[in-house]
Order: sequence, then structure tokens, then C-alpha cells
Amino acid sequence: MDALLRCEGLERSFGRVQAVAGVSLAVAEGETYGLLGPNGAGKTTSISMIAGLLEPDAGQVVILGDRMTPRATAAKRHVGLVPQDLAIYPDLTARENLAFFARLYGLERARRDRRIDEVLEVIGLSERAGDRASTYSGGMKRRLNIGIGLLHAPRLLILDEPTVGVDPQSRNAILESVENLASVGMAVLYTTHYMEEAERLCDRIGIIDQGTLIAEGTRRELVATIAEQDLVRLKVVGDAAGAADACQALPGVGSADAEDDTVVCLLDEAASHLPALLEAVAATGASVAGVEVKEPDLEDVFLHLTGHALRD
Amino acid sequence: MTRALPNVLTITRVELLRFLRDRGNLFFVLILPLALIVFIGLQFGGAGGYEVGVVAPDDDPAAAELIDRLDASDSLTVVALADEEGLTSQVSRGVLSAGLVLPEDYAAALAAAEPIRIGYLGRPDPGSRSLRTVVEAAVADQSAASEAAHLATTAVGRPAAELIPVAEQVRADLPQVTVVTDTVGRDEVMAEFAALGQFDLGASGQLFLFVFLTSLAGSGALIRTRQYGVAARMLSTPTRLPVLLAGLAGGRFAIAAFQAVYIVAVTAVAFGVDWGDPLTTTLLILIYSILSAAAGMVLGSLFRNDSQATGAGIGIGLVFAALGGSMMALEFFPEGMRRVAMLTPHGWANTAMAEIVRRDGTITDVAIELGVLAAMAVGLLVLATWLLRRAITR
Ligand SMILES: Nc1ncnc2c1ncn2[C@@H]1O[C@H](COP(=O)(O)OP(=O)(O)OP(=O)(O)O)[C@@H](O)[C@H]1O
Ligand SMILES: [Mg+2]
Repeated sequence: MDALLRCEGLERSFGRVQAVAGVSLAVAEGETYGLLGPNGAGKTTSISMIAGLLEPDAGQVVILGDRMTPRATAAKRHVGLVPQDLAIYPDLTARENLAFFARLYGLERARRDRRIDEVLEVIGLSERAGDRASTYSGGMKRRLNIGIGLLHAPRLLILDEPTVGVDPQSRNAILESVENLASVGMAVLYTTHYMEEAERLCDRIGIIDQGTLIAEGTRRELVATIAEQDLVRLKVVGDAAGAADACQALPGVGSADAEDDTVVCLLDEAASHLPALLEAVAATGASVAGVEVKEPDLEDVFLHLTGHALRD
Repeated sequence: MTRALPNVLTITRVELLRFLRDRGNLFFVLILPLALIVFIGLQFGGAGGYEVGVVAPDDDPAAAELIDRLDASDSLTVVALADEEGLTSQVSRGVLSAGLVLPEDYAAALAAAEPIRIGYLGRPDPGSRSLRTVVEAAVADQSAASEAAHLATTAVGRPAAELIPVAEQVRADLPQVTVVTDTVGRDEVMAEFAALGQFDLGASGQLFLFVFLTSLAGSGALIRTRQYGVAARMLSTPTRLPVLLAGLAGGRFAIAAFQAVYIVAVTAVAFGVDWGDPLTTTLLILIYSILSAAAGMVLGSLFRNDSQATGAGIGIGLVFAALGGSMMALEFFPEGMRRVAMLTPHGWANTAMAEIVRRDGTITDVAIELGVLAAMAVGLLVLATWLLRRAITR
């Protein structure tokens, strides 16, 4: 994996509070990496060190070969930061806000104008670009907040809980635009305490708690660490016991039992075995009236690893 | 550091833009200074009816009578004052059109036909000269009555034919009541103020008042820049902390300089205010704007709540202006207050401006004032930078 971002042994304390107690992670080109953890886990503190806003007590951050420190200017050009709290001028318009930050990134006139128009399009604010940000809805402000981070087309976009306090519709729009950005090859470092967001967006996920990265991997890898299997419940019209026997005979199926009109299977990976299961049931002459798959999720992983829930 | 200067200017520009954007500022920055300059100018120019100040001995019937005579005139209003110093101050500032100082025992002297000198304090303008004629006429009227009374006492029991030579004798013996039309030893100050245009005095005082006031009252914007999170976000771009600090300081300076240039330009064009030697005045205003900007930054870094900073800024701005001679010319301050005035930047700036405008001073004439202001500016700037750095990285 050729790492775009690599941080090693990051530590940071505030007085007696150790906010980050050893975070090492790497993000590859074009990868979407999720930092999942509860409130106060140290996500924002980690992000701040990665973006060069905060000096680490220990450890280092390297982005595309450049050391990131608060004084680094080269490394900062590779990064677009979208802070957790809104960081926009409410008394300026969206266009003025974008133009201001575009200037700070040193975008030349022609490129600046073009990028501003493109970003306005991406964040869906073209229509309202000339209105002051103070007149925007909460969701529009959040979108502008994100847009500023996109201006200079960074290699790495860092989003710190961009959907907190956002209505479901805006949240979906934000998630979609993150997916779009990732699909055109932008690497994304995304922090959240919403498991569903991490699962939906991220290629790899790091689980952080009390300042420490306690597990890392793809969703599947993480779930595999707690060795739980998927649970598939098939509602069957016809001979449920016969159907169960047919399922049991399939490779990769741990167990298959009939409960009334339902076949309950435990297997390694539901997604890849489901078609075979359905075929096997159909072959017995019974038909499937309903399917329910219950995978162990990251909540379960988090609970397993820390002994407490992701959200309280 | 290749992007240092452009980024400083970008931050400066946006801070100035936000300031001009804020409609609440427009009245205080654009309209109020001019309104005050016009208001002071109108008082100073003494248009309309005349107010004459009189310093008279207490319980003196003759003095009371003279006051009544003057008051009877349609165009005159008499204002009683306690002492000559106050009278001089008010006449020279144009608060009063003229002043009259009656001697102690005015009535007794008049009755005894002793020589009397009445002090007349005028302003060297045509209005004041005609006013003196009115006052002299009233005084002459009153002394004529005294003449008649004397004649009467001398004439008792004599035939009318003998009275003509006696009357002439009495007239010759009686000393005239003279109205001394000087400015009771304050010619210098008077002449200086006389040479000023109608709006000149108000304009320079208000310039220093408003540049400082606007800078301090605007310090809340600096707090908002931090609260909005944009200050921190700028540091995630290729903008280093010193560049951010310089940009924010530049923004504060641009606002102070904008206020100064606006007042100078508009008063020069609209009211013909004389701002003296351009180079010296520019240098003075430049230093004063830096100083004001730095004072605003100190305030904007110390407070965390923008309305508190704005409130404190207005309070400090007005008190300093009053103490520093921006509301009343320093020449009319008592000695002790004049020393207090020199603790404020306004005191030094107003002193320098008086030299530049009233005595055609140039850089060498106001070198001390410029030096003191520059030292204050540097001191405040160092303090402001340290405080703002602490506030941003906290
Ligand atoms: N500037 C600071 N001063 C003092 N303590 C801080 C500061 N910033 C963070 N902390 C502390 O460090 C710990 C980690 O905070 P951090 O903001 O990194 O958590 P987070 O994972 O981003 O939480 P959230 O999901 O609520 O945003 C918390 O205990 C917090 O109180
Ligand atoms: Mg956070």
C-alpha cells in the first residue's frame, strides 16, 4: 500500500487529560478511512495533529513525503480540512467565503473562479452563492463548511463529524457527496461516532477509544475479529425441515435449523452464500416468503473490544 | 513563506470588507463624525443670536441694571459667569460670542464718579465688533444717567441759566467709563483660534476621537473571527501563525486608516478644513492609526465576548477623548488636567495637530509628539501581538 498519509505514535495531552495516547494509522491514495469512536475518544485531537493545527507531544505525521507540523506549508497544500464546528464567515456570502480561502491556498485568479463555481455546484449552493452565509439553513452552512475544504482539490480530505446536528435529508446529501469525491479518487479521512456512516462510506475503519486506536481493518475484518457468524432467517412456504437439511448440506454453512416455518442458518458470509441458499430451498420444492439477515455490526465489535457501547 | 505577503493582504482585505459590510458601523463611522464636526463648527462660528457672558460682582445694583439693559436687546442674551477664566474659555471656543467683565464695586465707582474700566472680551470677527458697539452703547447710556445725577446734586438751588457752565464742568470732571476692548491678556490663544476656519478645531479633535473609538469599538470583530473558527481554519491552509497575526493586525489598521482618511478627505472637501502640512499630518495620522489598531487588538484579545469588548471600547474611547482634548481644546484645560491629557494618545496627537494647523508646524516641530506616539504604538503592538497569539492558540 503506498501511503498518502502516515502517522506514527501520535500523543497529545491537555493538562492532565491525555486526549490521544498513541495513534498510528495510514491512509492510501484514494482510500476512504473512517475513524470511529464515541464522544471524547480523541478524534478531533488526532485530526488536529494530522492537519497541522496542533503540535503532537510525541509521534509524527507525514503526508506525501512532507512532514506535517503547525509551521509546515507544503504538507498543508495536500490537505483539505473540514472542521467539526462550522468555520465560515457568516457575514460573507458563500462565494466570498470560498474566494477568501481559495486565495489563502494560492489559487490563481482563473483557476480560483473556476474552482469556486465547481465547488458551489458540488455543494449545491450555486443558487444562493451571493447570499450571506448567516441567511443559510443549518444544512447549507454545513455544506459550505465542507466546500471550503474542497477548493484546492486536495489529495486528502479530512472531515470531522460532518453530519452532526444535520437533518436526515442533508445528511444523506453530505454522505453522497463524500461517496462521489471518493469515487473520483480523493482520499478521505472521515471521523464519526455513527457506525452506519463508517460502514457505508469507508474502505477501512479505525476504532478509537480513550485516545487509543484499538482495532483497524475493513468492516469485514473487524467483524471477523469477534468471530461471529451471520445469521440468516428464511421464511419458507412448504417443508421447512427439508429446506433446512438442503441448506445444511451447502459448503460454508455452519448450521441450519427449522423453527416452525423458518429456517435459521449460521454461516460465514451471508452476502456470498445467500443465492446458493435460496436455490437450495427452491430445489426442495418449497418457496421463500421472506429473508432476514442479521450481521454482527461494528457496534458489536466496539462492545466486544471495549466492554461499553459506542453511544450511550 | 512564499505566500506570506499575499496571505497577509488577503486576511487584511477580508477583515476590512466585513467592517464595511456591517451596516451598524456606517452610522458611527460615516455619519456621526461629520455630524459632530458640523455641530461644533456651528457653535464655534456663532451663527444666529448672540450670547454674551458677563462676570459681575454679586449684589451690585448698577451691574444688575447694565445686565438688564443688555438683555433687553432682541439679538442679545446675557449669561452670567462666575469667573474670567471660564468666560475666556467659552468665548475663545465660540460657545459665547463675547464677554464682559465688570469691576468689583461697579455701582459705588459709578456713583462716586471714579474712573471705571470694563473689560470686553471679543472674538476677532465682524459680528463681534458690532456686538461691542451695542455693549458700549448700553454702558454709555448707564454712565449718562450717572452724569445727570451728578449734575442734579451740584445744581440744587441754582437758577437754570447758571447750569450750563456747571453741566459742562461736571462733564469734564467726570471720568469716562471706558470699555477696554482687549482680550484680557489672552491674545495669543485668541489669535490662534481666530485664524482657524469654522470647522478646523472640531475636525482634528473628532479625527482622533473617532479613529481611536472606531478601532476599540470594532475589536469585537476580532473576537468573532476567533469564535467563528475561521482563524483556526486559516492555519490549516498554507498560512503560518505570524502571517495570520499580521493579517488580522493589518485588518485593524486598515479600519483605523479608513476612518482617518474618510474624515480628513470629507472635511477638507466639504468644509474646507485646513489639515496643515500634508507630510506631517500624514505621518501623524499613520502613527496614530497604528496605535489605535493595536489598542483595539489588545481589547479584542483580552475579552472573549464581543459585546463586552465593544462596550468597553466605546467607554474607553470616549473617556480618553475627553481627557485627551478631543472634546475641548487642551488650551482651556486647567494645568493638572493638561498633565493627565498627556497620558492619552489623544493628548499628544491633539497637541501635535495644534502645532501643525495653528502654527504651521512641520515634522521637526512635532518630532517629540510623533516620537511619543510612535513609542506608544510599538508598545501596544507588541502587547497586542502577544495577547492575540495567546488567544488564537489557546
Ligand atoms: N483544547 C482542549 N483543552 C482541554 N482538553 C481538551 C481540548 N481538546 C480536547 N480536549 C479533551 O481531550 C479529549 C478528546 O477530545 P476530542 O475533541 O479529541 O474528542 P472527539 O473524539 O473529537 O469527541 P467528539 O465526538 O465529542 O467530537 C476530551 O476529553 C476533551 O475534553
Ligand atoms: Mg470531535
